[in-house]
Amino acid sequence: MAQLFTPRATVRFRAAIILVLAGGLAIGALLFFWARSDPAWNLGKPAKQPIPFQHSLHAGTLGIDCRYCHSTVERAAAAGMPSAAACLTCHSEIWQGASLLEPVRTSAALDIPIPWLSVHRLPAYAYFHHGIHVSAGVACESCHGRVDTMRETVKTQTLSMGWCLDCHRDPAGRIRPQDAVFSMGWTPHDSSAPEEVKAFYREARSRLTDCSTCHR
Amino acid sequence: MSGEAGTAPAARRIADAPLSPRFGPLWRLSLGLSGLLILTLAVTLGASWLRGVGVWGVNIPFVWGFDLINYAWWIGVANGASLFAAILVLRRHDLRTAVNRFAEGAALMAVLCAAMFPIIHLGRPWLFYWTFPYPATFQVWPQFRSTLTWDFWAISTHAVITSLLWYVGLIPDLATLRDRARSLRAARVYGILALGWRFSLRQWAYHQVAYRTAAILVLPLILVMQSTVAFEFASTLVPGWHDTRLPLQFVASGLTQGLATVLLVAAILRRSLELGFVIDEEDMDLLGKLVLASGLVAGYLFLDEILAAFLAEPVRREAMLNRWTGPYAGYAAAAALLAVLVPQLLWKRSLRTGLLVPVLAGIGVNAGVWCDRFSLLIGGLQKDYLPSMWRSYTPTLVETGLLAGTIGLFAALLLLFARFLPVVSMFEARHDEHMEQA
Repeated sequence: MAQLFTPRATVRFRAAIILVLAGGLAIGALLFFWARSDPAWNLGKPAKQPIPFQHSLHAGTLGIDCRYCHSTVERAAAAGMPSAAACLTCHSEIWQGASLLEPVRTSAALDIPIPWLSVHRLPAYAYFHHGIHVSAGVACESCHGRVDTMRETVKTQTLSMGWCLDCHRDPAGRIRPQDAVFSMGWTPHDSSAPEEVKAFYREARSRLTDCSTCHR
Repeated sequence: MSGEAGTAPAARRIADAPLSPRFGPLWRLSLGLSGLLILTLAVTLGASWLRGVGVWGVNIPFVWGFDLINYAWWIGVANGASLFAAILVLRRHDLRTAVNRFAEGAALMAVLCAAMFPIIHLGRPWLFYWTFPYPATFQVWPQFRSTLTWDFWAISTHAVITSLLWYVGLIPDLATLRDRARSLRAARVYGILALGWRFSLRQWAYHQVAYRTAAILVLPLILVMQSTVAFEFASTLVPGWHDTRLPLQFVASGLTQGLATVLLVAAILRRSLELGFVIDEEDMDLLGKLVLASGLVAGYLFLDEILAAFLAEPVRREAMLNRWTGPYAGYAAAAALLAVLVPQLLWKRSLRTGLLVPVLAGIGVNAGVWCDRFSLLIGGLQKDYLPSMWRSYTPTLVETGLLAGTIGLFAALLLLFARFLPVVSMFEARHDEHMEQA
């Protein structure tokens, strides 16, 4: 029988072993970095909203308080999306006939909600309550970014479980006094939290990282 | 000694089987039948995967049903067979020539069958890798106190080490097949699998070290694997399960099961491939005695379980009595009958060396251990602390299909193994012949 393998076969075989191992490592590294990349979490991608609403104009230039439109943010699990009536408080006076605002007028006339698309959507198995976070001193900005500068609303944080845990494991440095929760671009005079707040969260940490705190 | 020149007659005859162009209608029929069972496996796995575990008969309090019964059962085959093979290698026992190769192969195939059940019973099987501690974005380690992570480590360790033992043993034989192959294609395939084996003394020296190292690695597995499975039950608070003697019972009955499987496969291979010259009467005799002895140990442990329960607290005693007199008493009785009494046929040498009794004992012990696992799992859960939870368990067609399917997979893998690889170690057979001549 003829020679089974050429003289270079051994070299090729060894190279193949190294390549397969290296390939496995490369795939692992690729998955590692992809899972942490912006596209994997839909960061910076605006949704196609029914109305080209600009946070930068309303919250930024005009300085309307977050709670004016997201009215249940201090009390309920959901922050609440503005009803057509809320928009029409002003828009019955200004930009009355603007065609861009047609969905608002239709909604008001038919008494149906405006079909806003959610940018920050948590999975159903994660329990999240806006009210408790606001009253604990977690600022809007901490999770939603500088909304007051966004023409189109986008996600700036991954909202991954690891990201939630970053704060739940050590909240003391990330919370604000009550009067700064709704401010944008707030910088504390003293970046370290008061000693009693730190002491409280040292004790509360195990509660905050219980499975059943967020998965009920 | 180099290659073809050193191939002794026994090794030639062993190599004839994988190199023969045809294998006969019986082999094709058996492969077809196991193929049908694999089809059943695919359908039932698909149903469990797509529809979820709701297609099974499990429900509170029977959180575990066929899934864990079959898992514990297959692990028993794998563990018993691989431990047996490893001990033979380490002791350089004469029996290793006859049984090691297919015992290692059967162990590996049983691990593959076993591995399916913990994955499919997760409910969300596609997330099975969550039991592995990798840098996940959710920044939480797997729960190391969870039996699911124990399963992961136990099975992956077992699969790696058993396949190492099997493959390292195969390398010199693959090289012999490479040298004896009749077609260039077969020679190339065997040649690649032989990893450049040239029968040099240096390679033999390395091979002995590697083979024995792999065999040593198997030894702790018997304790780790079977005890892991047993602790999955023992670490719960179910009266019939919460017992420190459970790992011992699993290890002992698992060893009986592994030995019985080796005996069964030996009897079938010996007859179908005419390997009587290498798996001779002495080997069958010894194997039969081992199955008989380990069957007696398993029987002793059955008795011990009953006696220990009478000495234990009332709730434990009631749990045992319910297993033996309750609605699933038949399984407890069948376990004792099949796993302990059927091997008693092996007392007579002429029966040990035949075909029928080893096959009967092999199937009997395996069926008996399966019944024992059923009796423990289902009979143990049937009367829990709360009388309002006393229900009964009926497996669905899907669960039965999974069991039959894995048996088909095991049989098909074994048939393919017998078709394309030497089922008996050629280099050990050659070694034995040289020893005899010398």
